[in-house]
Amino acid sequence: MIQEQVTPRQRKKNSKPAEIVRPRSGLGLPKQVRRLQRQAPVYALKGLSELSVRLRDLTGRNVIDLNRIMSVAQFVYKQQELARRGANYEVDEFGFDPQWTESFLSVFEVLYRDYWRVETTGVENVPATGRALLVANHAGVLPWDGTMIKTAVFAEHSHPRHVRALVASMFLGMPVLSWFLRRTGQTVGHPDDTRRLLERDELVLVFPEGVRGTGKSFKDRYRLRRFGRGGFVATAIRSRAPIIPVSVVGSEEIYPMVADLAPLARLFGLPYFPVTPFWPWLGPLGMIPLPSKWRIQFHEPIHVEENPPEAADDQNLVMALADEVRNTIQQGIYDNLKLRRGVFL
Amino acid sequence: MTPARPNRVLVTGVSNPLGAEVARRLAPQVPYLFGCDVHDPISAIEEMDFVHADVRHAAIGKLVSRLQIDTVVHLAVMVDSPHAERSIHETDVIGTMNILVGCSGPSSRVRRLIVKSSQAVYGAGPTDPSFFSEDMTNPERPASSVTRDLLDLEQLVAEFALREESCQVSVLRLGFRVSEDTTLARYLSLPVVPTFAGFDPRLQLLHEEDAAEAIVRAVLGDHPGVFNVAAGGVVLLSQAIAIMGGSPAPILPPYGRWMGRLALRAFAGVNLPAHLADVIAYGSVMDTSRLEAAFGWEPVYTSRAVMDALARGKDLEVVEAPSPPQEYELQVYLQRRRREARNGHRATPKLPAHR
Repeated sequence: MIQEQVTPRQRKKNSKPAEIVRPRSGLGLPKQVRRLQRQAPVYALKGLSELSVRLRDLTGRNVIDLNRIMSVAQFVYKQQELARRGANYEVDEFGFDPQWTESFLSVFEVLYRDYWRVETTGVENVPATGRALLVANHAGVLPWDGTMIKTAVFAEHSHPRHVRALVASMFLGMPVLSWFLRRTGQTVGHPDDTRRLLERDELVLVFPEGVRGTGKSFKDRYRLRRFGRGGFVATAIRSRAPIIPVSVVGSEEIYPMVADLAPLARLFGLPYFPVTPFWPWLGPLGMIPLPSKWRIQFHEPIHVEENPPEAADDQNLVMALADEVRNTIQQGIYDNLKLRRGVFL
Repeated sequence: MTPARPNRVLVTGVSNPLGAEVARRLAPQVPYLFGCDVHDPISAIEEMDFVHADVRHAAIGKLVSRLQIDTVVHLAVMVDSPHAERSIHETDVIGTMNILVGCSGPSSRVRRLIVKSSQAVYGAGPTDPSFFSEDMTNPERPASSVTRDLLDLEQLVAEFALREESCQVSVLRLGFRVSEDTTLARYLSLPVVPTFAGFDPRLQLLHEEDAAEAIVRAVLGDHPGVFNVAAGGVVLLSQAIAIMGGSPAPILPPYGRWMGRLALRAFAGVNLPAHLADVIAYGSVMDTSRLEAAFGWEPVYTSRAVMDALARGKDLEVVEAPSPPQEYELQVYLQRRRREARNGHRATPKLPAHR
């Protein structure tokens, strides 16, 4: 092939003016202001740290815990980082995104340590590997107890693990909640789902009381409701998983529910419509939970998996085991109530 | 009783892309292959005898017995189609009924029946388990018309399987496909994809090639029963949209699916069927362990790979371009020659009288 000679004149004729790539001028603010904008978080943190040092010198104790503030700042940056993943992340078949969940656990840890000052005992009863069914009492209008149990196992255990809670199907039909719950590893409370999770050697958290537990009024606090029909025991026996009873104290006081407006609940398709001293009078402010003092106790595992799989159909045995779990949790609640000095202490 | 290897195979609905792919894969594997559809086939397959026939007419039963068919692959089941509800019902339920009539009776030679169903048979809702096993269909749920049709269809097929013990029936519930020109694919390819506010469901998809492969394996293998056929793993709706290069816009109202569907049709030009609207709100995932155990095979593409393939646009090449009319003429000519050779006398092209 003959190379065609291109004269400088032709080259000039064919060429296009180069596109000048320059950074966008932003909001048109002067350079100094933009630099200040960029540096603002750093200055804020610096100021806070100085303030905390001053306060510590003055009062002799940690008034502002910088670690906690740093973890919140970290959360913000983590979210930005997660957003940058685009579609390049894997979720498991239940829609669980571990990285995303861990970014939220750092925030829940602030609630866990500083807001509700949770004291957790017996976390070593949770196996480091392999399947187990955690069974807990359910209280408080919103399922903060589930969140705190998840945080407890993730933050306190020598092998941090994700707990997969089972939630009422009603919540999975609600916007935002369904998305958040699925993404953080929760799934619908269906026996088939429980079996599948246990067969993947996961830690599964179940609240057999269901909405009967969360929707009970303040005067019934710490009195366990009926534990379903013992279905969780049958599933544990079939899936060869030990049951670990969990007693949670403190969750009853976060929203002291004095009345239930059943007609309104029916109108919105909810199982109950709570009335607390603050909700619905204060609007969204009423949704802030009270800072009660919490204790979580993980009990010794009950080895239901030692029964043969046929035992799952033995209703007598199943109900007896369900009662045993229930009594263990109830006893644990009484013990921990005694250990607690006061509702808010 | 184990049925013999399929000998004379009829594929209904052979002119849709899936039917054409199945026919192409079956052609070298079975001695006699027949195809029927209301439209001309999109690609010429020389080994296949094509018949213009409509499953909605009872004549299809006569076709099955006259052609001495022993294996029927019933793919003329519309799930995601621009046709009216009424028309879909006619094809899915009445069409299947006609096919079943053709397959039943003491004189029937049909020993194997493969029916295409869909993941849409389960519907989708918040109370559903995370994974649908084959026995989890829920006839009580107020379902969309397609779900109802599919439930009716499967009921007919199940009754047939009980009645005709000599015929082996496989029902394949195929996962949602995005590789051909489906509504779901069109929806996901929008530049700005309106989604139901506050929902990000899991999607499970199925690649066109895997769907065809599963059907071919059901024809050649020995797998009676109902099977879920879908890709492994899930992909979140937001991920699927991001893979397609669009951006999700959570602007559809979270309650009242029909409002969302109406808005989609008006502003995005996508006519999303009711069952798909539920799927993009709540998600639907099937358990395919029975397929893997029985077939000893699992789909090659994962749900994510199906999305990636769609995004790369590779699937545009899988669906063949329609053959030119001359090729169709040639195919008809070759078919006639072959048929006459089979009937014993030499192929002597006889000129029509009026020429």
